[in-house]
Amino acid sequence: MVRREVNPPADGWSLTLPAGLWADLSRHLFTDGAGHGAVILAEHVRGPRGPRLLGRRLILAGDGVDYVEGTTGHHALRAEFVRDAAVLARDEGLAYLAVHNHYGTTTVGFSIVDLSSHERGYPALRQITRQLVGAVVFTSQAAAGDLWLPDGTRTTLAEVVVPDNNVLRLQPRPAEPAARDPEYDRQSRLFGDRGQETLRQLHVAVVGLGGVGSVVVELLARLGVGHLVLIDADHAARTNLPRLIAARHDDVGRPKTSLAARNARQANPDVMLTLIQQEVQTPRARDALAYCDWIFLAADTDAARHWVNEAVHQHLIPATQIGVKIPVDADGTLGQIHAVTRPITPDGGCLWCNELIDATELAIDMLPDAERERARYVAGVPAPSVIALNTLAAAEAVNHFMLAVTNLHHDDTGQAAVLHRPRSRDRDLQNPRRNPLCPTCSRCRQRT
Amino acid sequence: MTTPTPAVQAAIDAVRDDFAGHPVEVVPDGAGGAYVVVDGVHLGGQYTPPTTWLGFQINAAYPRSDVYPHYIGRIARHDGGSLGEAVTDTEWRGRPALQLSRRSNHWNPAVDNAALKAEKVITWFAAK
Repeated sequence: MVRREVNPPADGWSLTLPAGLWADLSRHLFTDGAGHGAVILAEHVRGPRGPRLLGRRLILAGDGVDYVEGTTGHHALRAEFVRDAAVLARDEGLAYLAVHNHYGTTTVGFSIVDLSSHERGYPALRQITRQLVGAVVFTSQAAAGDLWLPDGTRTTLAEVVVPDNNVLRLQPRPAEPAARDPEYDRQSRLFGDRGQETLRQLHVAVVGLGGVGSVVVELLARLGVGHLVLIDADHAARTNLPRLIAARHDDVGRPKTSLAARNARQANPDVMLTLIQQEVQTPRARDALAYCDWIFLAADTDAARHWVNEAVHQHLIPATQIGVKIPVDADGTLGQIHAVTRPITPDGGCLWCNELIDATELAIDMLPDAERERARYVAGVPAPSVIALNTLAAAEAVNHFMLAVTNLHHDDTGQAAVLHRPRSRDRDLQNPRRNPLCPTCSRCRQRT
Repeated sequence: MTTPTPAVQAAIDAVRDDFAGHPVEVVPDGAGGAYVVVDGVHLGGQYTPPTTWLGFQINAAYPRSDVYPHYIGRIARHDGGSLGEAVTDTEWRGRPALQLSRRSNHWNPAVDNAALKAEKVITWFAAK
């Protein structure tokens, strides 16, 4: 496989497209080498490096019907098609982005004819929609955008992001070569300097800093991930010590966020840390997830699953759920051990579709602490938990992440979970189920 | 302070409609949900008193989340009998209360809602 140079994240406005939307758009634009058009309606939110546009709806323009020979350029969207899409954008409060494709591979930009067309049409369109309007031009490996903001200003799009098995970052031209950091020489030989720079620029959340999460933090920090958001309300207990990476006996009673922060700083003194010593269902933690590039879900409460799942589908941020299940019957019989690493991507099957969240347990998790204990009136028995099994799942998850963000997976697409069964030494891939009517993830699949 | 989400606010409005004529007290929970208390709920002549308040939280994860558990004022059976399973003495938001634990094992946000769940809990308890 020829290495495809990854683009590190770019500061400024970005457009994120769910993988399925990008697949549909790619098929439309790049099948036959001809020019094609479409409109993307996008939600506007804030992000870690600037404003984000989240692709919510794709409207394909029929060749010769909606995308026709123009009077001043090669092709243009038909006026009625533009009007209908603009009205939809106005009614749904979404940004309007006209899309077309150019020839080329890793470099793309608007032609003079394109820009003249924007200057003729977009001031009026912006008034009609009262939303951001603009255009995006694509090749299969590059994208450029011209954005007309509601406040009357105009700016460019820094990148289009497609979070899938590889996280594609389409920019107007390949990123400048990154400086090599000698400390990361050995791993840069795998990732490339731009791949290492990508890791340095990423904001990654770890939800749950126990037996799995503490391992994930250690690995991310040593990989050189630049900003970690560490979320856990718990304090270290004596029974946690055998599973918390680098924990000491005098750590009992200390917040798990503090232990994870200490380890992260030992691994990488330059790492930026955001510590949230609260449960993930609190507003501050929920808000923090929206400013990340990737989320590791290493907590096994239903609230943690729900809110991470929400962040994936509401903010189009990829996540990985990590868990180890060691089933032991009432009579002590040990069942099959599962170590699961489950990608959760926008447009992939969500945790609700896969029946991994219980609505009543979620309600209990959302209660204040004292009421939660009373509501769960049948006392639970602690499940078995072992560091080596946790490490198996954590390493699988971090390997998947680092190959995804540096574009080193063989396939750009795919959301299969990896299931290790250590007792029988099996390793399987498991594709997620998708409920087409799921109110959580179906919003990533709006096509017209 | 995070104000109730639009879904929670809509659920509160539906509860007010469903329990028209009953005082309904709403206190935001600060995280996007709200505590709701419906007053003057009639639970049946087999109880003393026969009428009390019904309280519950509609949390920020609603409508994906079930509404669970529910709370009522402490009441007793006229005949002195047990209140049965899934009813426990507790306190809720400073009030002496009974906790009513009725799970919705197949909660479906397209069908189930806070007002309907409150009605079901009342019906279940009144039929005891």
